[in-house]
Amino acid sequence: MGFAGNPEPSFVFPTVIATHGSSTSGASGGGKSTVSAPSRGGPGGGPPPVASKPGHLASKRGIDDLDFFIGDEAIANSKTYSLHYPIKHGMVDNWDHMERFWAQSIFKYLRAEPEDHYVLLTEPPLNPPENRENTAEIMFESFNIQGLYIAVQAVLALAASWTSSKVTERNLTGVVIDSGDGVTHTIPVADGYVIGSSIKHIPIAGRNITEFVLNLLRDRGEQAHIPPEDQLRVAEKIKEDYTYVCQDIVKEIRKYDTDPYKYFARFAGEHSVTGRKYDIDIGYERFLAPEIFFNPEIYSSDFLTPLPEVVDNVIQTSPIDVRRGLYKNIVLSGGSTMFKDFGRRLQRDIKHIVDGRIAHSEQASGNLMRSTGVDVNVVTHKRQRYAVWYGGSLMASTPEFYNVAHTKQQYEEFGPSLVRRFSVFGSSS
Amino acid sequence: MIQLENIVIASEESERLRVCFQNHNVIIQNVLTERFVKPGRVDINFVDYDNVRFHLSTPTSKTQLVLSMGIQCWRDLEKYGVNDMLESEYGEWLIRDGPEKEQEYDVSLMIDLEKLPEDEESRVSFIYHMSMLKPMILAAPFRRAYETHKELAAAHSPDTSSSEEKQGDMMIINYREEEAFVVQSSWDRITVYISTAFKEETDRVFGRVFLQEFVDARRLSNLQSAPQVLYTTRDPPLELRNVPGLQKSDDMGYVTFVLFPRHFATLDIAKASILRILTFRNYLHYHLKASKSYMHSRMRIRVHTFQQILNRAKPEVQADERRTATGRTFRSR
Repeated sequence: MGFAGNPEPSFVFPTVIATHGSSTSGASGGGKSTVSAPSRGGPGGGPPPVASKPGHLASKRGIDDLDFFIGDEAIANSKTYSLHYPIKHGMVDNWDHMERFWAQSIFKYLRAEPEDHYVLLTEPPLNPPENRENTAEIMFESFNIQGLYIAVQAVLALAASWTSSKVTERNLTGVVIDSGDGVTHTIPVADGYVIGSSIKHIPIAGRNITEFVLNLLRDRGEQAHIPPEDQLRVAEKIKEDYTYVCQDIVKEIRKYDTDPYKYFARFAGEHSVTGRKYDIDIGYERFLAPEIFFNPEIYSSDFLTPLPEVVDNVIQTSPIDVRRGLYKNIVLSGGSTMFKDFGRRLQRDIKHIVDGRIAHSEQASGNLMRSTGVDVNVVTHKRQRYAVWYGGSLMASTPEFYNVAHTKQQYEEFGPSLVRRFSVFGSSS
Repeated sequence: MIQLENIVIASEESERLRVCFQNHNVIIQNVLTERFVKPGRVDINFVDYDNVRFHLSTPTSKTQLVLSMGIQCWRDLEKYGVNDMLESEYGEWLIRDGPEKEQEYDVSLMIDLEKLPEDEESRVSFIYHMSMLKPMILAAPFRRAYETHKELAAAHSPDTSSSEEKQGDMMIINYREEEAFVVQSSWDRITVYISTAFKEETDRVFGRVFLQEFVDARRLSNLQSAPQVLYTTRDPPLELRNVPGLQKSDDMGYVTFVLFPRHFATLDIAKASILRILTFRNYLHYHLKASKSYMHSRMRIRVHTFQQILNRAKPEVQADERRTATGRTFRSR
């Protein structure tokens, strides 16, 4: 979360809330919400998980409902409080907790009087409209905010790519590859609208890469040097600091074999408890780790489609008139897309697939038809890690934002169903 | 409902829950802590309560942070000695009028990362001092009120009758568009009037209940040492009748705090009571919102139980005999 017009979010913390007592469902998952309080709604049905309260009104004169922490502070206090993750699988699951989470985000961290401000929230693609309504009810009725806009994360990620020098025209058509810690999505967007039917999920993301790095270290016997409790941390560090995407895996391995001293990197660590120093060699994992996106068979046997092929599939299942635009603008977002040369490799592989198909259809037509070729362009930019937040910040700092956001007056006139529709923004600029 | 007694500012118990209402600005604290370790470029805009804008940037070099603050009621504050306060508290870092001062803002401070205190502890307190900029500035009129109080108390002799009682100036600070606070000192007390507007009908009702509770809560025996709290809606208190610029409408509520000398006996106590009064308005509004959230969660529970009752009351659907097109029936065996 943060304020519009800034290049980086002011606060990044997991959506977690620590409350006293009432340890209900054992919450799991709950991704990091890096965006200004993401609005994500939960599926209807099933009893709403409600905080258990004492039965009598008379006993209500307590202050228990104010006694809670959010974000990092919640985790720090997890010994005396019970943790809840109000967002599950990208959707709001517990509105009570979410409402209090928002209250504290606004009052304690942002320190803004909500009555004076407009709010931009983000939601995942395919969020049910009921959740938007719930969100609007909370935002307008509890917090009396001046205006609200709920944007789809993928669209904001597209907007964030405008900072790249490669992007010349500012349009909202493209494929967003959003890869975080848990799962990778490829989402096609046409003129600011998500093409819901062609969204694809890939079960390979940051966590898997870390695990794979660990496996490789184990195979080479390096793992023995790392104290067991630090292994995950070290693997993460290696993933973040040393890895890159190679252009040809066979050549790369040969290169490493012939001259290991030149390419092997050394990692110096320190035991987090005893402070004992150790260091390890980092070899093939440097380029093999991100390689699981392109050759998933080296990591798992469940999911075997390489990322470029998935992207190509997504575009091929989209309406034919937007495909050219989608190929031209493939945008990366999220922390697990930040490997060096990731975009270049992806672009080359997709181009390869597309060219192959064109050559095939040219041949099928008996060489009578000639294609003009299709532009494939993968956009990488500096703001990839918090791309969605940055896109939101960019959008909200334009004067146009105030025209597309719904105001409190409008809300009072039409009611919560108002937020089912938002005019797409940035499309005219 | 929230235990309102705890909100009364002198209460010990509330101290723990005031945790949610820190006086310092978290963003300043975070960014400075980060930059002190690793200098780098920054350019961020952010806000604080009471229409305060901040701008933290590195215009010239990575090690020179400029923190600027703009506040709506600067004119009022200037009248009541904010500049003296800045000189004494932040003089070292203050950018006086000149080209480096950012024009759209009222105060600019320059923090040179090369001239930082060495040890960890004083760094932390330095960062805290910086993040307290806004409350410090707003506290200026209170400082003046204390001084006036001291003068008046010294000049006061027991035989002057109460009708000739001399009072200090009314210091009016319009800290939001429609809302203001007024500080006035006299020989035996300092009076603070806070006006607050409620935009929404629901808020108004809640607000009325809340503020009334403040008055009632003081009757509790353990809160006798708290300052006197008075509360009126619509009409400002009699003392303020002649003050220009106060609106008379149903949306307005007026809270009066009467601080007796024991509330500002020492510097620490004085500081604490100023800070509490300064955050009072936001505190009140936060609690309005929190109690609405609480109501909502109660409503959700209630809806859920009603739904369960309805589900139980559903009549069982009678499965009528199914026939084929020719009129024959299936028989289940």
